[in-house]
Amino acid sequence: MNLAQMLFYVMSFIALASAVFVAATKNLVRSIFMFFITLFALAGLYVLALADFVAVTQIVIYVGGILVLILFAFMLSGRETLNAMALQQKQFISIGKLPAFLLAALFLIVLLNMIIKVDANNLEWVKKSIESKNDIPVNAAMTEDIGVGLMTRYLLPFEAISILLMLALVGAAHLSRKGRGA
Amino acid sequence: MISLTDFLIVSAVLFCIGLYMIVSKHNAIQILIGIELMLNAAILNLVAFGKYDRFNNGGQMFALFAIVLAAATTAVALAIILNVYKQYKTIDPGKIDKLKD
Amino acid sequence: MPLLAFVINFSIPAKWNKVSGWASTIAILISCVLSVFVFAKVWNSNHIVHQQQLWFTIGNTKIYTGILLNNLSVLMLLLVSLIAMPVHIYSTAYMKGDENLSRYFAYLSFFCFSMLALVVVDNLILFYIFWELVGFSSYLLIGFWFTRDKAVQANKKAFIMNRIGDIGLLTAIIILFSQYHTFDITQLFADKGLIAQSVIKNGLWVAPLGSLPSIWQYIACGGIFLAVAAKSAQFPLHTWLPDAMEGPTSVSALIHAATMVAAGVFLLGRVYPLFNGLELTILAIIGCFTAFMAATIALTQNDLKRILAYSTISQLGFMIMAMGIGAYASSLFHLVTHAFFKCLLFLVAGIVIHQMAHIKDDNAMDIDPQNINNMGGLRKKLPFTFIATVIGGLALIGLPLTSGYLSKDSILIQSFEWSEGRNGVFKLIPIFALLTTWLTAFYVTRLIVKVFFGELRMLHGKPDIKLHIKDGGWQYKLPLVLLAIGCLFPLFSVNPLLYEQAWLFKGFAINGGLEREDVYHTLIPAGVNILSIIVIYVAYTIYVKRKTNIFPQEGFLYRLSFKEWYFDKIYNKVIVKPVLTLSTASFWFDREVIDGFISLLVKTGIILSKLSAWVDHHIIDGFLNLLVAIVEAISNFARKFQGGKVQYYLFSMLVIILALFILKIVF
Repeated sequence: MNLAQMLFYVMSFIALASAVFVAATKNLVRSIFMFFITLFALAGLYVLALADFVAVTQIVIYVGGILVLILFAFMLSGRETLNAMALQQKQFISIGKLPAFLLAALFLIVLLNMIIKVDANNLEWVKKSIESKNDIPVNAAMTEDIGVGLMTRYLLPFEAISILLMLALVGAAHLSRKGRGA
Repeated sequence: MISLTDFLIVSAVLFCIGLYMIVSKHNAIQILIGIELMLNAAILNLVAFGKYDRFNNGGQMFALFAIVLAAATTAVALAIILNVYKQYKTIDPGKIDKLKD
Repeated sequence: MPLLAFVINFSIPAKWNKVSGWASTIAILISCVLSVFVFAKVWNSNHIVHQQQLWFTIGNTKIYTGILLNNLSVLMLLLVSLIAMPVHIYSTAYMKGDENLSRYFAYLSFFCFSMLALVVVDNLILFYIFWELVGFSSYLLIGFWFTRDKAVQANKKAFIMNRIGDIGLLTAIIILFSQYHTFDITQLFADKGLIAQSVIKNGLWVAPLGSLPSIWQYIACGGIFLAVAAKSAQFPLHTWLPDAMEGPTSVSALIHAATMVAAGVFLLGRVYPLFNGLELTILAIIGCFTAFMAATIALTQNDLKRILAYSTISQLGFMIMAMGIGAYASSLFHLVTHAFFKCLLFLVAGIVIHQMAHIKDDNAMDIDPQNINNMGGLRKKLPFTFIATVIGGLALIGLPLTSGYLSKDSILIQSFEWSEGRNGVFKLIPIFALLTTWLTAFYVTRLIVKVFFGELRMLHGKPDIKLHIKDGGWQYKLPLVLLAIGCLFPLFSVNPLLYEQAWLFKGFAINGGLEREDVYHTLIPAGVNILSIIVIYVAYTIYVKRKTNIFPQEGFLYRLSFKEWYFDKIYNKVIVKPVLTLSTASFWFDREVIDGFISLLVKTGIILSKLSAWVDHHIIDGFLNLLVAIVEAISNFARKFQGGKVQYYLFSMLVIILALFILKIVF
């Protein structure tokens, strides 16, 4: 067991444990802050998957953007939401949540079953790409590749995403403004 | 070397946690968090498979796109939630069962 | 043929106007003319018209409907229409002014239709139907003046008596059918028909198609006799006929003198082969007894129409007796002649009563217009009526030169011949018959004398009353003339003294030619007539010269006769009272026992229903409530999926996806 694997297991544990906490806690604020930790741990996992740039983007956009947005929304919604939060059920698995829990567990079983069956390490194309040196080496700098790829091969999706992002921005602003006006 | 299966298992667990949150929570914000968890599980898969696509780099690229889209989604969803809260004084989607007031 | 007349007759009830009387009369006239043609064609021609077609089928039994015209039925056809025609003409005058004129004629036409149909039908089912229709229409006509209490009582009585007879006929028909499997009169009663081939042997009634215990044969005969007795007013069912005189007199003339009562005799004629020796003897005895009894009753009655009614019963008794002694032809012969002269007498009586009623109304007297004690001296006021009455009366007595002589004497002679070979008791029958003829002579004379001779007794002490009565118009006279001709001999025989030469008689001579060697043939008519004339003279003297009632009014015999042999009282005591008692008892039983039982049932029912209400409330309702709750829960559960709750939608979607995955994996 090398260091990378140790790191992976630690990161995985942190991510999953915090995610469980997010799901289980009754306190919204705590769950949001635990979500921070989950996202950070996931970023670490990305790094271990040799995707540095994605990990950085994760931290910048998710932690810096989305989470802050959620917190702002939560804070802006006022005391009533906080009070409503206090009325949440205390138990982790109450009777009312049993179906959801069962559903999730069954999904997990199914997914794990699939994963084990597929045996991803020995997939045809994965083997082929390893043979043809198509896999990313551990020390490779992928950021440049991503920049070139975005401007050449993935230009159209990039532009589409840009437009979509702008639309979402405008839409969100409009919604908020209208809500304030109303 | 970390095997692909490990990544997949972690992402599956994350996905299921997100699923559980979406189905069971009575708070729109928590449901949103559940969605984010599921998205992250998907991104993790993308990144993990993207390791074997060096030249096209499709996995990482689409992981980036997914992150950006998630951001946009979250922004819009939050705006909607705020409006809904102003309208109904609740953010429990189970209690919002009127199309028009 | 006469079908046309039926149709016309049937159409009468639809026309509710004053024309109905004439329409009805014309209809009967047409049918009369047609009957004459049919009669001329069929009579003695050995050509029996028998047309039939399938009516309906029950199981394997095909019921045919059709008409059967042989000597007997064409004779009856002719007779009915011939008698009905004058009566119709008479009725147009007699019933004038009655507000229900059209109803009257509708009934009359209906009666004629049923009667004409009765005589021509060829199977027993149809016969029974028309038999009932005849009874029913007579019921309607007797009760024509339904506002009179007595008329209502009388028609009720007639109806009940007829019902008894109908039961008998129905029984007989059913027995005959079960024995012979057919209703066809021809097949049953023809010369070599089924009845002729069946014999009573060893207590079994053996027929070509099967056998029954012989008791059934007697029951069938008894049933038929009951029907005959009811329709023809024979002992013991005769009491309805005098009461039926409450109807209009023209109706009495048509129905109760000539046609309907003859239906019974006609029935006997139709089913004649059915009867064997013993039964015929019983018939003869009963007929003779009826004749004698009715004649003695007629002696003392004071009501004009009742006298005639009892006379009718008496004459019908003669006919039945004639049937019984085997004088089939004489019986029918007498039926025909009797129809003429009795109808004549009734019509005369109608005129007399009508005029008396006029006098009564004009002078506001409180008398009974039908009581002959109030009449007298009408000979001078109503000369035409008087002549008609005398002719009818003489025919009834049976004096020479009238038709009555021919028929009655033939019966008497044959009855003597019949008793020749038998022992003492049976010899009484002709003797009684003879006595009856003399009694007839007496009461007819009494009637005529009291009505037409002397002076009008109702005017005693009131000399100032003015009388304006007359014979009436041609509508009265024409029928009388027609009928009076019918009473005289030439219509029936060229020889006024020898009945054997009557063409009518020959038509039925089933016994073959009767020899005139017998001493009776000359002795009896002579003896009868001489004695009759003596009796007439005696009666005339008694009533004209002395003008008082020579009979002791308090004597037993007088009372017996006057009270009509106490039949009504006996019936009242023996039948009506027990029936009433029985009804009362059963009413008591009904109220005390059955009602008690029923109220017990009611109580039980109430308790049961309370119990069931409790069960209902607590168990069934509970069950229902449970069901409701379950359904509610289910629907609430289902409602959640449709309640606009996004998470439920998602949940169910995911469940289904999961299920798909699991299925994919497992299979």
